[in-house]
Amino acid sequence: MTSDTPASDDHAALIQAIAQRRDRRAFAALFRFFAPRVKAWMLRGGASPVTAEELAQETMLTVWQKAALFDPARAGASTWIFTIARNQRIDSLRRERHPATLLPDPAEEPEGPVQADRVMAMAEQESRIRAAMADLPAEQADVIRKAFFEDKVHAEIEKELGIPLGTVKSRLRLAMNRLRAALGDVT
Amino acid sequence: MIAHHPSETTLLAYAAGTLPEALAIVAATHIGGCHLCRHRLEALEAVGGVLLDSLPPAALSDDALDRLLARADEAAPAPPPVLNAGLPPPLDRVPLGRWWPIGLGARWRPLQAEGAAWGGLVLVQPGRALPRHGHDGLELTCVLKGAFSDGSGRYGPGDLSEPQDDHDLPPVAELGEPCLCVIASEGMRLRGLLGWGQRMIGL
Ligand SMILES: [Zn+2]
Repeated sequence: MTSDTPASDDHAALIQAIAQRRDRRAFAALFRFFAPRVKAWMLRGGASPVTAEELAQETMLTVWQKAALFDPARAGASTWIFTIARNQRIDSLRRERHPATLLPDPAEEPEGPVQADRVMAMAEQESRIRAAMADLPAEQADVIRKAFFEDKVHAEIEKELGIPLGTVKSRLRLAMNRLRAALGDVT
Repeated sequence: MIAHHPSETTLLAYAAGTLPEALAIVAATHIGGCHLCRHRLEALEAVGGVLLDSLPPAALSDDALDRLLARADEAAPAPPPVLNAGLPPPLDRVPLGRWWPIGLGARWRPLQAEGAAWGGLVLVQPGRALPRHGHDGLELTCVLKGAFSDGSGRYGPGDLSEPQDDHDLPPVAELGEPCLCVIASEGMRLRGLLGWGQRMIGL
C-alpha cells in the first residue's frame, strides 16, 4: 500500500539518490508512489488501461534516466515528474517525432546562477499550492482540475459545466490569483 | 522588453499539455524568451504536480517495476536534430516547409505539426499587413524580428499576440525592417491574401 501523504522533500531526496548512485531502492520507493498516480492521470486523460500503464512505465524510465537533470532549485519532485508525464503523453499522441522535447525543458536550460534561497522556496512551493488548492472555492478548483486531468480544452469545459467561456476564464484567473498569492514572493 | 504575454487559460493549457502542437510551439517560442511567463508556467506546473499527488492510485501489473528495472541500462532518446539554426528554440528543431509568396510583400512558410491547429512563419515587408484569420478559435502570433502594430498595441521581438475579441484592425508591419513572426491558429482558414495562398497550396 502506498502512502497517501506526499512528502515532497523525501521524494526529492530519492531522485537525488538515483542521480548520485543509481540507487534502485530509492527508485523502487519513488515508483511505488508515482507510477500508479501517473497511470491514473493517463486514464483520466482518456488513455486505455494498457496505454496508461505503458505511459506510466515510460515516465518512470525517464525519471530514472534523467534524475541527474532534476534540480530542486527549479521544481519540486511532484512537479518535475508531472512535467515528464505530460511530455510522455504529448509524445504518445504524435506519430514520428518527439515534439514534447521541443518544448523548453527548464531542467535542461540553466538560466544563470540559482539563488540559494530558491531551493527552499521550490520545496515549499508545492506545499503552499497544496494548501491553497484545498482552500479554493469548489467551482474554481473544478475548472483547474478539469483542465489538468481530463484533457479538456476550455471550449469543452464550457460545454460540460454549462457556463460561458468567459466565466471559465474568469474562474481560472481568480483561482490562479489565489494560488499565486499563496506563493507570495516565491514566483 | 516584452510587453505582451499569453492569457492565463492559454498558459494553463500549455502547462497541462492540451494545447494543440502548432499553438504550443508558438507559446514555447515566447516562453523561452520571457522570464515572467517562465515563472507563471512553473507555478502552473507545480499545480499539476500537486494534483498528480492527490490522485487515487491506479494499480499497475505486478511485474511492472521488474520489467522497468530490466531496462535500467537503456539510454534516454536523443533530442530531435537542429534543423533551422537561425531560429530560436523550439523553432530550430521544428520541420518547416518551403517559403510561399502570399501576395504583395508577404511570404509564408508552413511548419509541420499534428493536431487541431496549423501554423508557420510569416515574413512581411515594412508597412504591409499581416494576415489574420477569422475569430473562430485560438490564434497566437510571436514576433521573431521587426515589429507590427494593430488596434491593441505594438508588438516587438518576443511579444505574443493573442487576440481576445473581434476587433479587426489588421496588424501592420512597422516601417524599417521586415517583420518575421511565427503564427498558429485553430481557426478554419485565413482571410485575405494568406487565405488565398493557403488555398493555392492546399493547406
Ligand atoms: Zn511572457
